[in-house]
Amino acid sequence: MKPPVVMDCQNFKELLDSYLCGELAVETNHTMLCHAERCCVCRGEMAARRRLRVSLRSVCSKEKMSDLAMESLRARIRAEAGVGPHAARTVNGKWMRGWFAGLFKPWFLTPAVVALLLVAALGLYVLRRGNSDDVRRLTPEQIKALELSGSLMADSASGHRGCAVHFVNAAGPAEMPDSVREYDPACVGLEKIAAEGAGGLLLRAAHVCESGDRKFAHLVYTRDGGLVSLFVTVRDCRALKSGAAPPFSGLSLGPQRFTLDHIAVGAYQTLKRIVLVASDLSEDETGALVERLASPVVEHMRKAEAGAGLEEQAVRPKRAED
Amino acid sequence: MEQNDKLRRLEIFEADALGFSTQLFRVALRVCRDREQAEDLIQETYLQAWRSFHRFEIGTNLRAWLYKILFNVHYSEVRRERPELAPIEEVIAETIAYDPPTPQHLTEEEVLAALERIPRDFQVPVVLADVEELSYREIADALQIPLGTVMSRLSRGRKLLRMELANYARGAGYQVAN
Repeated sequence: MKPPVVMDCQNFKELLDSYLCGELAVETNHTMLCHAERCCVCRGEMAARRRLRVSLRSVCSKEKMSDLAMESLRARIRAEAGVGPHAARTVNGKWMRGWFAGLFKPWFLTPAVVALLLVAALGLYVLRRGNSDDVRRLTPEQIKALELSGSLMADSASGHRGCAVHFVNAAGPAEMPDSVREYDPACVGLEKIAAEGAGGLLLRAAHVCESGDRKFAHLVYTRDGGLVSLFVTVRDCRALKSGAAPPFSGLSLGPQRFTLDHIAVGAYQTLKRIVLVASDLSEDETGALVERLASPVVEHMRKAEAGAGLEEQAVRPKRAED
Repeated sequence: MEQNDKLRRLEIFEADALGFSTQLFRVALRVCRDREQAEDLIQETYLQAWRSFHRFEIGTNLRAWLYKILFNVHYSEVRRERPELAPIEEVIAETIAYDPPTPQHLTEEEVLAALERIPRDFQVPVVLADVEELSYREIADALQIPLGTVMSRLSRGRKLLRMELANYARGAGYQVAN
């Protein structure tokens, strides 16, 4: 910017902001300073505009993105980049979309693998809880009767992957729609029931959805960019490997755990329902989360079932070595 | 190998580009005038920036590049939602004849309120220049308007801001010289 031939107060005021922005040529800066030295009014104006700039910067710098928005931004970029907890859809492209994706197609589900995982999980659980009175109350036959079906595993895992992922950026908080009553009246207000165990989780969505040929009441949470799902579904014959729901709950057994393609799932069985927590957090994190998140829901369902007159049968048939 | 390159690029992107998110958000807030929309604009800006990041030349002006994407995204949204939008503020600004001196005593709340009262087409360049300290050339590139237009909008925007502030100062009983 060329300096005016004569620097008067009018010119000075016109150029002052550009001077403060450092947009003037060196010689113009010099002319400006010379004028300011001689004119106290312009010197005052220069100081006032400097203060205004400081105030503007100060007031605007208080405006920040929310932590939630930042977290969501990072998660979206990582998902887009194919890394992080939501990356399974995109990472390693072809390979992941190949046989791993096929695993989730109901007709190509590998029931043998799922069954093996379940047996291993149950076996491990029994070994770890070998001294527990609760478990000793169940015979091996009863434990076997509680084994969940491969199709339920697949439906819950693909429900988590296929449905929850769409809500990773949902505004939340959400409320379960009242229409859930048609599916399961005990799930009305499910998000409030689960809230007790959902500390540190951000509720993104609450709805009824279908995965495979199964319906779920579904709560979607996020934590540190990772997705967590809480599902409640009916404990029907298709949910159990034996093809028949036993007349006792699986609560004394604790959660049944399994992992499918990086999705860790823990499931509790009441007399009429199955409460599942699925997450793409690490197995350890999920393990800690399953009990905390599912417990109040399980307790609510148990009370609802007791209130409806459902009773456990044959939970303690015999205590062999007692 | 390709995955390693992507991870390295992501690391650089997160370290460098995300560092400008607060600055970009401040401008997005001026552009959208709504917090939620501004956050959406930032999300879309960064997603587009990531998708093009392989073409970005490391060492060049990342901040200016991000601002340019932000306004690209915004303009495409505006065109989609309000295709008939015309820059009527230019006409309004023609009427500015009086340039009051900058008041001496102002609170930050008054400064913010005054800023928010000036039309968006003038407010955004003022924030880019006086808050974010972009050069006039960088502002022209970001807003995709000629340098001369940037200078005229800045001049008018600052005058409008001073007029608003003078009104506040008068209302508060301070004397503002004419």
